[in-house]
Amino acid sequence: MEAELQEALRRCSADYAEVRWEELERSRVAFQRDQLMTLERSREAGGIVRALVGGAWGIAVFTDPDEIPQKLSEAARLARAAAHKVSDPIRLAEVPPVQDKFLPQLENDFREVPLEEKRKLAEAYNRLILGFSPEIVSSSVRYTDALRHVIYANTEGTYLEQAIPDVTVLLLAVARRNGDVQQAFESIGEAGGYEIAQGLEERAEAAARRAVDLLSAKPVKGGRYTVVLDQELAGVFIHEAFGHICEADFLLKNEPMRKVMQLGRRFGVEQLNVVEEGYIPGRRGNAPYDDEGVPRRKVYLIKEGVLSGLMHSRATAAKTGMEPTGNARAVSWEHEPIVRMRNTYIEPGEASFEELISGIDHGIYAKGAFGGQTEFEQFTFSAQYAYEIKGGELGEMLRDVVLTGNVFDTLRNIEAIGNDFQLKGGAGGCGKEDQSPLPVTDGAPHVRVRDVIIGGR
Amino acid sequence: MGILERATQAAESAELYEELRSTVDVTFRGGEIEKVASREILGRALRVIVDGRLGFASTAGEDEEGLLQAALASARHGDPAPFKFPKLSPGEEVEVLDEEVLGISPDELISWGEEAVRAIREEFPDVIVDVSLSRGTLKVRIENTSGGELTERRSLLSMGIEAQWIREGDIYLLWVGRTVRRRADLVPEELIAEALKYLRWGEHVVPAPQGKPPVLFTPKGTVVLFLPLMVGFSGLSVVMGTSPLKGRIGEQAFDRKFTLVDEGRLPYGPSSRSFDDEGVPTSRLPLAEEGVVKNFFFDLRAAALADADPTGSGIRGGMLGGGGFRTPPSPNVRNIVIQPGEGSLEDLIAEMREGIIVADVLGLGQGNIQSGAFSNNVGVGFVVKDGKVKGRLKNTMIAGNVYEVLKDGLKAIGGAPEWVYGTAYVPPILAEGVSVVTR
Repeated sequence: MEAELQEALRRCSADYAEVRWEELERSRVAFQRDQLMTLERSREAGGIVRALVGGAWGIAVFTDPDEIPQKLSEAARLARAAAHKVSDPIRLAEVPPVQDKFLPQLENDFREVPLEEKRKLAEAYNRLILGFSPEIVSSSVRYTDALRHVIYANTEGTYLEQAIPDVTVLLLAVARRNGDVQQAFESIGEAGGYEIAQGLEERAEAAARRAVDLLSAKPVKGGRYTVVLDQELAGVFIHEAFGHICEADFLLKNEPMRKVMQLGRRFGVEQLNVVEEGYIPGRRGNAPYDDEGVPRRKVYLIKEGVLSGLMHSRATAAKTGMEPTGNARAVSWEHEPIVRMRNTYIEPGEASFEELISGIDHGIYAKGAFGGQTEFEQFTFSAQYAYEIKGGELGEMLRDVVLTGNVFDTLRNIEAIGNDFQLKGGAGGCGKEDQSPLPVTDGAPHVRVRDVIIGGR
Repeated sequence: MGILERATQAAESAELYEELRSTVDVTFRGGEIEKVASREILGRALRVIVDGRLGFASTAGEDEEGLLQAALASARHGDPAPFKFPKLSPGEEVEVLDEEVLGISPDELISWGEEAVRAIREEFPDVIVDVSLSRGTLKVRIENTSGGELTERRSLLSMGIEAQWIREGDIYLLWVGRTVRRRADLVPEELIAEALKYLRWGEHVVPAPQGKPPVLFTPKGTVVLFLPLMVGFSGLSVVMGTSPLKGRIGEQAFDRKFTLVDEGRLPYGPSSRSFDDEGVPTSRLPLAEEGVVKNFFFDLRAAALADADPTGSGIRGGMLGGGGFRTPPSPNVRNIVIQPGEGSLEDLIAEMREGIIVADVLGLGQGNIQSGAFSNNVGVGFVVKDGKVKGRLKNTMIAGNVYEVLKDGLKAIGGAPEWVYGTAYVPPILAEGVSVVTR
């Protein structure tokens, strides 16, 4: 395909253009209670071209590879239609052209595993959940694997081939007692082979046990609390509340926000370090090269409490005079790259878990991420379950714990950072604009935050 | 030989779903045009039944042989199909295509975006305005071996305005949008006026009341209430035993003022269609009438499991859109309509005297949605005192349970419904019994 792509790009009249052609091989198995809802192994292919003319982008998405030359012309034409309206043209930071292949060898290649075996694996987890207790009334078990094979070429001479594996498992249990319905889940997602999905029996039982336990848990009383977040929730917090506002695309044409996000500004305690990294072996958020063909760079978003970097595409890097970081990612061939996270984490501190909860007279230990959303300074995310902290000790189980706050206040209110760091890739993914779910990894140690608002009745 | 004909050499029955999505999208960022995108996406899904077992596969692009082999392989390890593919007969068509939408040029979309930027900047020069516009069609074709073929071309037009008002110590982020099928139903000026109204209301931040003040949901804010109902009225939730409404047909589960209809056939309704994604004709399906539970909605599978009739609700894609050809059908609403009462939003504000207005929330769907629980950060909300909007609230959460709020806490339903989320036609709702926690 290399020769055809380069020939098509050579003929393109745009200031800059790129082509991305993707082939996806994937399997899915989904059980809901006793119903096999999905059992699929299939392939798909599609492409996108992007052309920059006069500082505006034109984009064309298609499924027929023979149309690449026409689609390049179409993208250039659309860009031209917008270009004459532009007063602040988009420029691209310079990057050296690269020719590279990143095609990892999977030890236990899920493409070699028969669909029947994947079905049996999911079915066994499902049976464990449903059989755990008579109070378990339903379940949802989902297995997915995918190998995304990406060919990328641009008019600057970059030509890349990458293969990105992704395996996820969701183990969800629904329990019911009288009119009350509670659910709990375990969620696994990594970039690797079939082994990631195997041996999760204990996780399946943990989900079922927790769903049943939640039937007896007390609903949380709304109010302001000192909260200890577990690793998963602290990871979601740093991703949702802080990570998203470090994506430089929304600063691109937003002078007031650029002032808020000045490098060198203090955001938290000295012990706070937040990292955004493009490659950690086996992690879901990995993007060795991003979807603009830019090699990864590790970025400290916060170093010793001070804002020290942002995530960039080539356009945002040019605008702010920074280096591109390899954060321009697309969820699939249907979409153009936008600035996204990869593996995002809070570095470990020194406190033990006992030190974190000791001294909290009346607080909450919140565990497991249910979901989250952010709108710049406001964020919200929910815990799967929680425990009271009373007089420095863990107490009763709580449910319906949804936390909210202002990200700048909350970062300042981080009082202590644990020493028990964990990275976690879930079965879901990150959503931004209309692109979801993008594989990402979050991580953190336990973290203690004061003055968190918790909604509740 | 067509793919269905080839399928029948190995399978006793088969169904092909094909969609061609053609769109043009225009995106403004920071008040300026940033990109214009054209998308032409062909997606297909094939279901087959082999020796009584169901198989599914999907693909983008032209690879028919791959699709067929994948579906047959799926069936080999599949479970017995609980349903048969229905005979497809074109019934009465619903109006879902407006040719005028197809004629809208990128230049025209750009000019609407420019007008939004100009009008908002004129009154609020410091506000950053992003605009997204999209026009296009979805052409759907369904064919199966029970006989018949259905095709429909549906138009879609959407406009969204995001306004960011960033001042020292305060960021106000507002999004208003519309998705329609007909050009005449999208009036950019109305959308701009809505954005301006909320910007004016939100200029000053004021403290929110705590406890359980009256809460007025704007049409967009009502998603907090109807999203859990979309799960609760789903035939699949009922079959799975997770719906709190299971076994309660005929019961007074809601206030008498509350009537909820799943409208599949409203002319030019943004989620209207003549048939669902399994080829079953759509219908007007009352879910609750005067508070009494009337019906659940079913796709072929859930209907077979519940021994009920399919309701034309087999949709490929998620609750608030997305998914498409890659997702096997599941029961979902078409247009969800809450029967309006009387009075405008402003009338309800005057009536409530004191309380809060919820115009948008963060964290939709988080929490125990199956039980009806909601717990959300109020993304855009306002404080009402003496029957007037006093300003915007911040750092505030609402929490409650839909099934309690709509039974014992429903004070009034307004009379000015609006289309929200491209799937619901809903009036403002005034409720009590919602907990409000603020910093």
